[in-house]
Amino acid sequence: MKRLPTYGFLLFILLAMGCFFVYPIYHTVREAFTKPGGGFTLEYIGQIFGNPLYREGLGNALKMAAGSTLGALLLALPLALLSARFAFPGKALLGALVLVPLILPPFVGTIGVKQILGQHGALNALLMPSQVASGYPADWLGHGRLLGVILMNALHLYPILYLNITASLANLDPALDEAAENLGCPPWRRFWRITLPLAMPGLFAGASIVFIWGFTELGVPLMFDFPRVTPVQIFDGIKEIGGNPLPYALVAIMLVASLLLFLLSKCLFGRSDFAGTGRASMAAQTPTLKGARGWLATAAFSSIILLAVLPHCGVTLTSLATDWNDTVLPSGFTLQHYRDALSHGLTVPSIINSLKYAGLATALDVVLGVTIAWIVVRTRLPGRHLLDALAMLPIAVPGLVLAFGYLAMTREGQPFHWLIGANEDPYWIIVIAYAIRRLPYVVRSASAGLQQTSVSLEEAAQNLGCSPFRTLCRITLPLIAANLIAGALLAFSFGMLEVSDSLILAQKGEHFPITKAIYNLNGALGNGEALASALGVWAMVFLSITLLGTGLLLGKKMGALFRA
Amino acid sequence: MVSIQIRHLTKHFGSTLALDDVNLTIESGEMFFLLGPSGCGKTTLLRHIAGFYTPDQGQLLFDQRDITNLPPHKRNTAMMFQSYALWPHLTVGENVAFGLEERKLPRAQIDSRVQESLQMVRLGHLADRKINQLSGGQQQRVALARSLAVRPDALLLDEPLSNLDAKLRLEMRSEIRRICKEFGVTAVYVTHDQKEALHLADRLAVMEKGAISQIGTPRDIFRSPRSASVAAFIGEANFLPAHFLASTGPGPLATARTAHGLFTGRLTDPTWHPSPGEPVQLCLRPEALRLSDQPDLPNRIGGRLIDSIYLGELAQYAVQDPAGTTFHVSELNPALLRPADQSVVSLTAAPDDVMILRA
Repeated sequence: MKRLPTYGFLLFILLAMGCFFVYPIYHTVREAFTKPGGGFTLEYIGQIFGNPLYREGLGNALKMAAGSTLGALLLALPLALLSARFAFPGKALLGALVLVPLILPPFVGTIGVKQILGQHGALNALLMPSQVASGYPADWLGHGRLLGVILMNALHLYPILYLNITASLANLDPALDEAAENLGCPPWRRFWRITLPLAMPGLFAGASIVFIWGFTELGVPLMFDFPRVTPVQIFDGIKEIGGNPLPYALVAIMLVASLLLFLLSKCLFGRSDFAGTGRASMAAQTPTLKGARGWLATAAFSSIILLAVLPHCGVTLTSLATDWNDTVLPSGFTLQHYRDALSHGLTVPSIINSLKYAGLATALDVVLGVTIAWIVVRTRLPGRHLLDALAMLPIAVPGLVLAFGYLAMTREGQPFHWLIGANEDPYWIIVIAYAIRRLPYVVRSASAGLQQTSVSLEEAAQNLGCSPFRTLCRITLPLIAANLIAGALLAFSFGMLEVSDSLILAQKGEHFPITKAIYNLNGALGNGEALASALGVWAMVFLSITLLGTGLLLGKKMGALFRA
Repeated sequence: MVSIQIRHLTKHFGSTLALDDVNLTIESGEMFFLLGPSGCGKTTLLRHIAGFYTPDQGQLLFDQRDITNLPPHKRNTAMMFQSYALWPHLTVGENVAFGLEERKLPRAQIDSRVQESLQMVRLGHLADRKINQLSGGQQQRVALARSLAVRPDALLLDEPLSNLDAKLRLEMRSEIRRICKEFGVTAVYVTHDQKEALHLADRLAVMEKGAISQIGTPRDIFRSPRSASVAAFIGEANFLPAHFLASTGPGPLATARTAHGLFTGRLTDPTWHPSPGEPVQLCLRPEALRLSDQPDLPNRIGGRLIDSIYLGELAQYAVQDPAGTTFHVSELNPALLRPADQSVVSLTAAPDDVMILRA
């Protein structure tokens, strides 16, 4: 009787996920394995592996992923251990600043990095003025620029690992460590035998997300003019999407590789996350590092953060510079670029577009996310586990794959062509793309809230005469409001920063979201980079405010958002 | 307030049988206790009355009205949760007002009812506090005030005192009974604490494995348990195997033969008429046994004194008979403590205190 509407929701959500998550993937994969006349074929996959260019692209993508993960791990692990184990001067502030890299789309940061590390950049001007003068300065970004791409990714992605590791360290019962100490295990051995193995699930969960992210990164290699990597090859292939099945095959290969990795991490560390064995029963002791050692810890933290904000500084300076070539700092400052950027025909509409796309997608995510979390946490409906898995899976599926699938399934003659408005307006498909990709964050935060809220609080309301729907409004939603706002903020800011859907789905200038506008401005002749940077700074300010809010609302629980 | 009738209530959780054909009538205005070890189904039964569970089979009636399929918010019961379930985002006053707002009472009436309920639990001055600023005992009272403010047809209490410390628990016990009786509300109270039940209940039901073992007044249940399991759950009990001889009278008195000779005892179940020679059990409460050095007594168990414990208001002794069975004895207000010196002693009990139960 009361289950009927719940079944309705369940069916509706499964249908929506089927249409806009499973179907686009299926559509892409099918094209990759279908002969022109119909029938199964492995020919295209074979062609990919037979073509040295594509092989090199895949190899580079793997290098990009492995390098980014390793780099992020090297940055994140020491910081996470320091912050979980010790108190030191300025810890609270530094802990918040660690998240700074998340506020800038990495491909915008690329502009800044090129200004600083490029052949005519600030570093060369600082270190080797003589070589600059002679015209043959060092190329820090390395041959083929892969190193630059990896550096940029690592600097952008290490906060995700940091959050995951600190969250899993914070959840450890200090008694586990004390028991080892009590049995005579010295500190360093305790770290290797107890702490690290117990933190492994969090570490691996974060690392697999960073790896997939790095594997499918489109914006950064694109901005570094590094074409021989699979994501860029797919992006270039879109122009010929009608007749050429090879982009489909490339996407299918990326998807399989990502899913294999995701499954591997699930199998290795299970879904249980050791949490059951080791919930903290008491607060962990964090001894304060005194004197020089304390300041050393502060310095370590600060220097990594400084390194991580280099791109941001570069972007900010570029946006303010009259001219910046072969000098440590720009030779003059101006606000002209901000005026130019605002008066450019692309800018204002793109900001409005992004606000509309991200705002609507967030609203959709909140409604869907609360319903999914409620069904998964509060009901015993058969099929709720499938729902949970489906809702979390977009974290493991590369944005590029989905974007490609959306593009393919809304082409003329395809079943979802009706979603494209007049004048090729991709409004609804972009909103759906944004919403599906960010859904995991909202579901995660909502179900975390529901799990912390005792069912008896809801039962007490029903018992006092409150109908189930009113109970949701008066009791449940207010109690999980902080979680919901945090999840929504995250969904919104990541929507504003979206790269792959935006670059691929928006084809006409008047439909560009802000990221594609930045990309296009950057390519403009003359002061393009400065204009793009000016717009990037605007996005940065905006996102730092939303992320700061998220951090305040969620505290340590924020790490849980970046897990699947 | 209503009378509650439960007819053939059966509930499965997966393959576990949680309630097994439960039949029960709770009178209007009665304070009724559901008592039993954890996992016996008492909370499950209470949640059926509240409407959080729907039974697989059977019926629930409030005053002859079938409410088996009525959703919880239309039943007008008020439940006090073990965790209190006070909403942390509302103040004390808002928590108490919640149910009244749901009943769409005029504001003025809500305000006066909230004040009245809070005064009843002696917290009138704390209406504007947040829940997390209250102590455990205060939270417990707010939960009670919230339940009673809506003038429920039935008050359902799920181990309401289990989160309080021992002293506060004693204080709140009497307080709950006073308030319930003042309101004249029908109350169903779940607990595993037999002292609480004996103290407060008008009547109580002992449950075991999803079924009701016995229903009666506290004195009934304590003095005349119908089965060994009820006897063992309420109070302490020593058991002695025996063979029934004959009903001798007056009334329920009968004789049985044991390894310690002939015993005269009382049949606790008036509907049960064992045949001569049938195996039975004798149940002897520690406080009904008397320790003595005399060898020649009726209803006598002989053994050696193997343990003695001094507890202030009483002394506890353990006596082992030649067969190796240990009997526990307690002596109220002991003037002196006998040492556990293996000396030969006798235990004896009045015929009325020897309960004859099914083996």
